Amino acid sequence: MIANDTMEILYERAQEEWGKIENNEIPVVYVGSATCGRAAGALETEQVIKEVLAQNQKSVLFVEVGCMGPCALEPIIMVQPPNGIPICYGSVKPKDAEEFTRCVLLEDGVWEEKLIGVMSVDSYRGLPPITRHPMLETQVRNILRNCGLIDPENFYHYLAQGGYRGFLKALSMGTETVLEEVKKSGLRGRGGAGFPTWKKWTFARESSGSEKYLICNADEGDPGAFMNRSVLEGDPHSVLEGMLIAGYTIGATHGYVYCRAEYPLAIKRLEIAIKQMHDSGLLGKNILGSNFSFDITIKKGAGAFVCGEETALIASIEGNRGMPRPRPPFPAVSGLWGKPTVIQNVETLANLSLILSRGADWYVQFGNENSKGTKTFALAGKVKRTGLVEIPLGIPLRKVIFEVGGGILNDKEVKAVQTGGPSGGCIPSEMLDLPVDYESLTKVGSIMGSGGMIVLDEDNCMVDIARFFLSFTQTESCGKCTPCRVGTRAMLGILEKICAGKGEPADIERLETLAQTVKQGSLCGLGQTAPNPVLSTLRYFRHEYEEHIKAKECRAFVCNALTSFHIDPDRCVGCTMCAKSCASQAISGKRKEPHVIDQEKCIRCGQCLRVCPAMYAAVYRRSGSQVRYEPIKERKKKTD
Amino acid sequence: MNVVIDGKTIEAQAGETILECALRNGISIPHLCTHPALPPFGACRICIVEVEGMRGYPTSCSTPITDGMVIHTQTEPLRLLRRNILGLMMLEHPSACLICDRREVCDRYRPKSEKVGATTGCHTCNNKEVCEVRELSADLGLAEIMVAPQYHYRPIERSEPFIDRDLNLCILCGRCVRICKLHQGKSVIDFVHRSSQTHIGQAFGRNLHEAGCTFCGSCVDVCPTGTLSDRYAKWFGRPKTKTGTTCIYCDEGCALAIYASNGKSIMATGLYDNLPVCVLGHFAIPEFLNSPNRLRTPQIRVNKVLRPVTHDETVSRCAELLQNYSGKAFALVCDTSSTLEDRYVFKKFTQEVMKSPYYFEIEPDKKGFAKVIHVPDEVKAIITTGPFIPIELRNQFEVVIALDMFYNDWSKSADVVYPVGVFAEVSGTIMDKDNNLRPLVQACSPPGEAKPEWEVIQSIGKALSPDNWKAYDRVETITAELGLENISLNLNRKTPPPVSQKLKERREWFRGYRIEDYVSGLAVVRNFEEGKEPETEKEKDKSEIIESPKPFMVLSRRELVPNTYEFVIYVPAIAKKALPGQFVIVMVDKNSERIPYTLSDWDEEKGTITLIIQEKGLSSRKMISTLQGEQLAHVVGPLGTAFEIKKYGTVVILGGCYGTGAVLRLIRALKEQGNKVIMISEARSHYLAYYQKELSAVSDRFIQTTIDASSGEKGHAVDALKRLLDTGEKVDLVVAVGCPFMMMITAEETRSLGTKVLCALNPIMLDGTGMCGACRISVDGQTKFACVDGPFFDAHLVDWEEVRDRREAYSAEEIQAVSLTQPAETIHREPHHNYCSCMERG
Repeated sequence: MIANDTMEILYERAQEEWGKIENNEIPVVYVGSATCGRAAGALETEQVIKEVLAQNQKSVLFVEVGCMGPCALEPIIMVQPPNGIPICYGSVKPKDAEEFTRCVLLEDGVWEEKLIGVMSVDSYRGLPPITRHPMLETQVRNILRNCGLIDPENFYHYLAQGGYRGFLKALSMGTETVLEEVKKSGLRGRGGAGFPTWKKWTFARESSGSEKYLICNADEGDPGAFMNRSVLEGDPHSVLEGMLIAGYTIGATHGYVYCRAEYPLAIKRLEIAIKQMHDSGLLGKNILGSNFSFDITIKKGAGAFVCGEETALIASIEGNRGMPRPRPPFPAVSGLWGKPTVIQNVETLANLSLILSRGADWYVQFGNENSKGTKTFALAGKVKRTGLVEIPLGIPLRKVIFEVGGGILNDKEVKAVQTGGPSGGCIPSEMLDLPVDYESLTKVGSIMGSGGMIVLDEDNCMVDIARFFLSFTQTESCGKCTPCRVGTRAMLGILEKICAGKGEPADIERLETLAQTVKQGSLCGLGQTAPNPVLSTLRYFRHEYEEHIKAKECRAFVCNALTSFHIDPDRCVGCTMCAKSCASQAISGKRKEPHVIDQEKCIRCGQCLRVCPAMYAAVYRRSGSQVRYEPIKERKKKTD
Repeated sequence: MNVVIDGKTIEAQAGETILECALRNGISIPHLCTHPALPPFGACRICIVEVEGMRGYPTSCSTPITDGMVIHTQTEPLRLLRRNILGLMMLEHPSACLICDRREVCDRYRPKSEKVGATTGCHTCNNKEVCEVRELSADLGLAEIMVAPQYHYRPIERSEPFIDRDLNLCILCGRCVRICKLHQGKSVIDFVHRSSQTHIGQAFGRNLHEAGCTFCGSCVDVCPTGTLSDRYAKWFGRPKTKTGTTCIYCDEGCALAIYASNGKSIMATGLYDNLPVCVLGHFAIPEFLNSPNRLRTPQIRVNKVLRPVTHDETVSRCAELLQNYSGKAFALVCDTSSTLEDRYVFKKFTQEVMKSPYYFEIEPDKKGFAKVIHVPDEVKAIITTGPFIPIELRNQFEVVIALDMFYNDWSKSADVVYPVGVFAEVSGTIMDKDNNLRPLVQACSPPGEAKPEWEVIQSIGKALSPDNWKAYDRVETITAELGLENISLNLNRKTPPPVSQKLKERREWFRGYRIEDYVSGLAVVRNFEEGKEPETEKEKDKSEIIESPKPFMVLSRRELVPNTYEFVIYVPAIAKKALPGQFVIVMVDKNSERIPYTLSDWDEEKGTITLIIQEKGLSSRKMISTLQGEQLAHVVGPLGTAFEIKKYGTVVILGGCYGTGAVLRLIRALKEQGNKVIMISEARSHYLAYYQKELSAVSDRFIQTTIDASSGEKGHAVDALKRLLDTGEKVDLVVAVGCPFMMMITAEETRSLGTKVLCALNPIMLDGTGMCGACRISVDGQTKFACVDGPFFDAHLVDWEEVRDRREAYSAEEIQAVSLTQPAETIHREPHHNYCSCMERG
């Protein structure tokens, strides 16, 4: 018998609590205070707002919420007038806070310059809805449904959004039906490999033994990736509810959240959420009167990239050095402490509540044939709007870059998109119509990965990009197996040699042999995919490698050793800016006469290029036969 | 359960891995990191196979076999992948020798490894003769490496007791880490750091003792490379015999394997992979038994002095001395370290021949200390097998016969001293603490004329009572008489001895002797236990050196490349008189060996000489451990006949190892005479090449060769010479300076080319002035002294076999001397970039 009554009481209380915010008598200020918001100064902004309000004896309700995604617009503050709809503002920096408070809170006005939109589907007070903001229009926010909207530390906020309804439904359905529902949803692991979730669960269900474990993999380690952190900081209960559903279905007795210690806020919020679950009977023995007993422990990781690999993660939880071991046996058969163990990514778990509460039929409307649902991406690189985005799987890459991301910075040419982090590859601009789904990305030599997406433009050197990612995998290699430990170093050595202008024609073949050896010979997924950045750039941008080696030319002018800086005497007016800023005193010339760079002394730092006034743009770069001048820009006329 | 491996249907057993199944059925799959005693690890990736229906290339060592599996172990892609993976592994291991074209010549000329400081090639690797990597590389046909290897420049760790660790040879197979966990239940050592910085070590840089190491030695046993080595055993070469016997340091009865060469024990390990032994069983036996303090010849007291005599003389003296002391005037004292057979003969002798009731058999205490006993006052003659009686009681006895292994106060004052064989030197039976009988099997010979104890006593018995004493021909006869037949070693213990996990519980005494007085590593352990700071060398204040150098003072010392050092020494008298090609003899301290070194360069004005020194043994280790500002005991020179500096035309100089640096001044002198000088320098790999700038600056042409082609041309210097001659270069003289092997192959391979080749020989020398003859060599059938007639000789006329053999003359003594624990931190490494493995190194 399931004790639904206890939950219903909680839901009632949650409605009351949430109702106070929805039908507010005093203004409500939502402060996006996840780690990203805090880094942009959200807490300082909040402090200033509070001070100004105190001076004016105005009372306002503050709610600290998680992250909405648009990193470029942090800190994000929403203001909900009494009995109104929240109005969302971006870039409310601490220096703007005082003016913001006056304009928006004290005078109940609208600060148009900082406005993002109103939090509804229709316009409100004549202001556009946020859903029509170009960055958000294409997005579908399922996983991030509560992020930035509720107080992650307030249990009732989550309940009021229908939280734990999925779990309750699961309990009433029974494990067989839950499994069937998840199978129908087509949910696949969001950690990278895209293994069907129901299959993993089936293995674990079929494994004998009374003790089974469920691990939530929150060891997000790709450089620049923060999807999982945002969910954990903005909506921890959605992940924990997913753990309950998964744990219930596979018959797990205990759950672990393996979270890196670099995510202190996420850990803090998880701890609070787990305590709330305990207090309301959602964890412990015979949860809600059912036969299901389950508890969750947070295990802090030390931040090794390889610990995101399942077997290394298990070793780390067991107190050993985080090193992968060969499979079989697979964790679903013999994992943590030798017991059947299912490991799921944060985002996979965050999907489960929705699949259960709204049904698989609802879920499959998002995505395409083999890739269902939505996926979060950390959109970065040379796009106008960077940030955390969630899109339905299967939409073309172009749409993500040009609609969600707003196109390329300074309207330059897109060269490639790197997906999947250090294990992924580079997709050239010709393939931008490729749908974003597991199979399509794999087919072109990249992977979905956990959701890194870096947009590269003509100023990115592809050899340098390969070198960057390889230097990451090399330093993060656990050192256990030979191909990964030594092979990545050998490849990195060759790439560095090529970038330094010392490449030989045979190096490309060597790189390919090494890449194949590492790919085929490595023990774990990290090693097997480590050569992907090299292989994919060799596949689509081989000409850049050849230019580096044969013509000693870097078309993006990135590789220092292949780039030289010069001053065009016809453009230089002798303003001395460059000479003054040159660290190696390589620039000489008289005032008001063209200057010259001494190539022997020049260390190619590029400072002269940066300081040369755009109205002269006299410094140009040369690499092999390539020459690049900066455009001359007319000086802006003074406005007043 | 049936599986198909390489087309053959094979019956597999449940629970075994693919590798186990294949090996059991005689199908060989190359493998490295796996070990029969250890759980699968899957790190080296050599044992990969293809399994139909499985993705990628699973490792056979870790993949459990399942019914119906179809496995391929020898496909072309597998062979290629294995070779490439080994090639990668060899980038972190001194590997040039594995792909050297002259491997076979080298193995013929120097079959045993030569001792050295830092190993940078197979011929100076203590593991050479049993190396699994060498076998694997031959099997897989490794012929080249893809990119330049990375040498890690890790200091060799020689300050731990018993174990030398050279992490530059490590391939990270993890066997040591796993066996430590298996045998000790904890990780004394583990992988440290990530990526290419990963290495084996203790947490937080602690030493082994602090980390909880009990020195069971299991890690050394399983290491497939020369990384971990038994400091005592490492340079003796491959043992000729392996004998299973029982350890008698304590009464646990562990089965040991004793390895011996020419009757001398070299190394001991546990007999079974799955059971560790303790520090004594693993590390304290050969050094104890081979101690230079062992008694070797029977001696009798003549005119108050002990004199060596024959067996017969000794025995008759014993009989003569004992004949008047039968009955209660005689006693025999022994302890339980003697075999049951020995003790049976002792007792029988005491009771039947001497008619005495006083046979004392002492049971040692927990630390192995045999309790001191008092002998009844009426006893006036005594036979003792060790120092068991307080020496103060010496005056009680009129006759003392010592059957002993070392000199002690008793044996020094005895009337007769007879050296006896003990432990692994004898056969017999012993009883362990659980009253199991265990065999003692002779694994090595007693030193000198030492004999088993029963044999000595039996001879005395025979002499005293020729009619009644029953003589035993063999120990087995006594065993049979005791009714102890058919004792075999198969009494395997089920559990490791507790002391293998608790260092403090080790025995400290054996036969009345403190073991650590004879086993240097145990003394180091004792220091650690007592909290004594390990000895460390202090850096000298460098400022005063420059201002007032003293003669023989080291003005600069730097490690050019691993194991090769450049020393600048203040010796104005030599700097004033030196001529190209001459050498000096250096004594590091007053007890040091005299070592000849070629004068690489000198500065008359500053009064300095420059020497290139490689660590090869104890004396050169002392030399390279000499720091800036320290004074050497003595430098003699210049010695030898100078090189004839005149106009030859085109001179090609071949340099290898120390020779690359030793010819600097010679090149300059030849240039000054208008010669065209072409310098060819050889090194095994790029990280061993040095002085390129210096040599390029003084020669007309500089050619670097490396064996692995990682820098310059591929091959030895002689290959570059031959290529040079092929281009039509007219060469008037070739001078080869390097190790005997390098000069030998140069001589052999240029014999037919008609070019004169000189070589520089520096064999073992004492005085360096032609008196002692130690440096004798044969040139064109005539005896020459390298010190005065040389060092330069016609390489085509030198007897190279003799050069090699004479260098080996003292190898046993050299090895014994070098088995030292080095004070911690003696070798100061230069800072970042020269000696770290970061990639910024140029």
